[in-house]
Amino acid sequence: MGQALQGDGLTTKINVGPIHPSTHGVLRLVVELDGDEIVNVEPHIGFLHRGVEKLMETRNYMQDLPYVEKLDYVAPEAYSEAYISAVESALGVEVKERAQYLRVVLLELQRIASHLLWLGTFLNDLGHFFTVFMWAFADRDKILRLLQEHAGARMFYVNMRLGGLNRDVPPGFEEEVLSVLGDIEKRIPMYESYLEKNEIFMERTKGIGAISSHRAIELGVTGPVLRASGVNFDIRSSKSYYVYDKLNFKPQVVSSGDVFARYKVRMLEMKESIRLVREAIRHMPPGDAVGMPIRLIIPAPKNKEVRVYRETPRGELLIYMVAGQQGPYRVSFRSPSFINLAALPEIAKGAHYADLFAILGSLDLVIPDVDR
Amino acid sequence: MLIGESWLVSLLNSPSPYSEALGLFAYAVFVGLLVIVVDYFLGWLERKIVAKAQLRHGPTMVGKFGLLQNLADFTKLLAKASYLPKRADRLLFTLALPFMLALAIFLILLLPLVPSFGFGNFASSLVLVFALFSFTPLFIFIAGASSGNKFAEIGSQRSVLMLLSYELPMIFVIASLGILAKSLNLFAIVQAQSKMWYIFFLPIGFFVFFVSMLAELERSPFDLREADSELIAGWLTDVSAPSYTLALFLDYTKTFFGSLLMAMLFFGGWLGPVLPGLAWLLVKALIIAFFIMLVRATAVRMRIDRVLRLGWYVLLPLAVVNLIIAFIV
Amino acid sequence: MKVEKEALLKTAEEMKNKGFSYLVKITAVDNISSLVVLYFLRNLNTGEEETLEVELSPVDASVPSIMHIYKAADWYERELKEMFGIEITGRSAPRLLLEKWNGIEPPLRKNFEWGKPYKAMD
Repeated sequence: MGQALQGDGLTTKINVGPIHPSTHGVLRLVVELDGDEIVNVEPHIGFLHRGVEKLMETRNYMQDLPYVEKLDYVAPEAYSEAYISAVESALGVEVKERAQYLRVVLLELQRIASHLLWLGTFLNDLGHFFTVFMWAFADRDKILRLLQEHAGARMFYVNMRLGGLNRDVPPGFEEEVLSVLGDIEKRIPMYESYLEKNEIFMERTKGIGAISSHRAIELGVTGPVLRASGVNFDIRSSKSYYVYDKLNFKPQVVSSGDVFARYKVRMLEMKESIRLVREAIRHMPPGDAVGMPIRLIIPAPKNKEVRVYRETPRGELLIYMVAGQQGPYRVSFRSPSFINLAALPEIAKGAHYADLFAILGSLDLVIPDVDR
Repeated sequence: MLIGESWLVSLLNSPSPYSEALGLFAYAVFVGLLVIVVDYFLGWLERKIVAKAQLRHGPTMVGKFGLLQNLADFTKLLAKASYLPKRADRLLFTLALPFMLALAIFLILLLPLVPSFGFGNFASSLVLVFALFSFTPLFIFIAGASSGNKFAEIGSQRSVLMLLSYELPMIFVIASLGILAKSLNLFAIVQAQSKMWYIFFLPIGFFVFFVSMLAELERSPFDLREADSELIAGWLTDVSAPSYTLALFLDYTKTFFGSLLMAMLFFGGWLGPVLPGLAWLLVKALIIAFFIMLVRATAVRMRIDRVLRLGWYVLLPLAVVNLIIAFIV
Repeated sequence: MKVEKEALLKTAEEMKNKGFSYLVKITAVDNISSLVVLYFLRNLNTGEEETLEVELSPVDASVPSIMHIYKAADWYERELKEMFGIEITGRSAPRLLLEKWNGIEPPLRKNFEWGKPYKAMD
């Protein structure tokens, strides 16, 4: 750093970021351009590296919980649930049945909120002036209000406890969820018709940044990006957890593999999530959902290995944990954004410069999750 | 009286040249003030329109309906530090923006705002207006290239590249107007619409002209030169706050110019009952500006190669069709 | 599945031919007496999981790169080098990924000393 980037005479090198409107955080891309065509993209990460994995080794299990949520500020519920689930299997704690249903409800609500945020920011990357962003945020806010009603916070919930949740949902919560879902269900077709009838939107997304299913597997991309390439793989169905198999969950797959397919997969997933939440609420048993108090820690069997696979809104999260007595001996996150960003140079090669941001947006990156 | 005599000739022939010159000077000052007031209003209007489209309220706190918000923002921008990038060409970089602004105001001065008075009352004044207007991308190129910033450079290159896509269809539409009015004098074109506005004869021509104008004004969806999600601010990347007020001013002046021109060429300019001519013109121009801003609130930005394709494959054939219609009419 | 370091490349290739085409993650655990590198592999058609565990001695640890077999290994291997100080042989020396400093031992090793001053790289 310190000196200007130089191309080799025929190409131009541009430094995008770490402060740039479209990198959604502190990500730096060194882009090599030949005219308007991308020759190479080199992502530089680590601006937000906080050493969370090391920090967590020094604290006990429940103290680590808030750290995990900070990894993905767009879907913290998904992360804290995955972590608490890893701790549960390390300590051998059973999750109460009502809590299982409630966790599914919270997770799927979080997924809808996360995809709505993605929709808005993605349109901004395409050069839309904040209109869809504002609409999607208004819808997302309704969900955040629901989550707040349970957890007491809008952004970082910390409402998971060993064996359940910190408290049962307030009375009338189910009805409120259903009415909010009704609202959002009406809005999703509106977004779809607004965007898919827009000629410019279609030509900015169709056929851009396409990867085949074979290539997607090779690059290791995950989540909606993988499913948009026609790979029928979703942790919720292939390694079903909680009650997903009882709710007849079906993975949403689109085969064209381009930016439009990634958009479509997320729209379909929102609809599927709405259905899942409704089913979960219908089948939810009465009873107790409150987990253990936060100070109570059962000593874990030494060096027990735990693997927890979860489908977060961004893709597959693997928590590999070697349990210690009071806290994790070693914990490692396979964060979905990390591997999706690693695939960016391959996907973006040969695209137009303007399409780089469409592709970057379609990967749905959360930078703290990349850096950890 | 209206057509034929140039203002210069009438000035030379007038018994008292000083009074005529004074009148023109007063007119220029009046237009300058008008531009400032309308620009300010357009700035407020755009914030309100975009906010309404986005389920927001826009400025409400400063002044009635937030009308003074832009004044507050303007003052704030002026108070910020000015910065000249090291690699920039000092002279060109500082002069490009004021020069462009002067050019835009001069262009409005050439337009027929009131019947039978103004600088543009000579044969082929429309051609002159367009020739000058086409210089804007050139100045944008100079401003961008002289700042020594790569984002600015790409933005300015795009600006020149885009010139290839919209200029030709626009000229075809102008030709069709010339055929209908049998003159290229702006005053004559407005006067020729006294029976029927040209929008009814040339709806296709208006469409082509509107789209090309959006591109010329670097308005969304053609705001490729300052594409914020790609190029940070395009050719304005290194412009610091006090100069940026000029850029904003320039943006609205150009929008005002574009709306005025469309109102004159297709909606009969000052023609209208009861109200004075200027009021009619402003109302028409503001309605057109409203639609320009509405497009900004709803569109997705196009890609540069698609803009060129649009210009050559869609707008140009339509412009030719429009020309044939003009011949028939 | 425990794998010797020398047999890693062969085993990885075999696994890929068996349909374990998806690399989930490469990570390591420092057990003080040894370093264990783990390769999480998956067969996407059947959903089967397989983990290759390679045990290394903590001094001068190195593993061969599997990047030519699993393209997704690229960033994981770079992270491994940075966080655990495990040399990756058989690939070009990569630019540091996460941390832009030097002069301290790899942070995720258990003998990492807290609070030591570090020198930022330029």
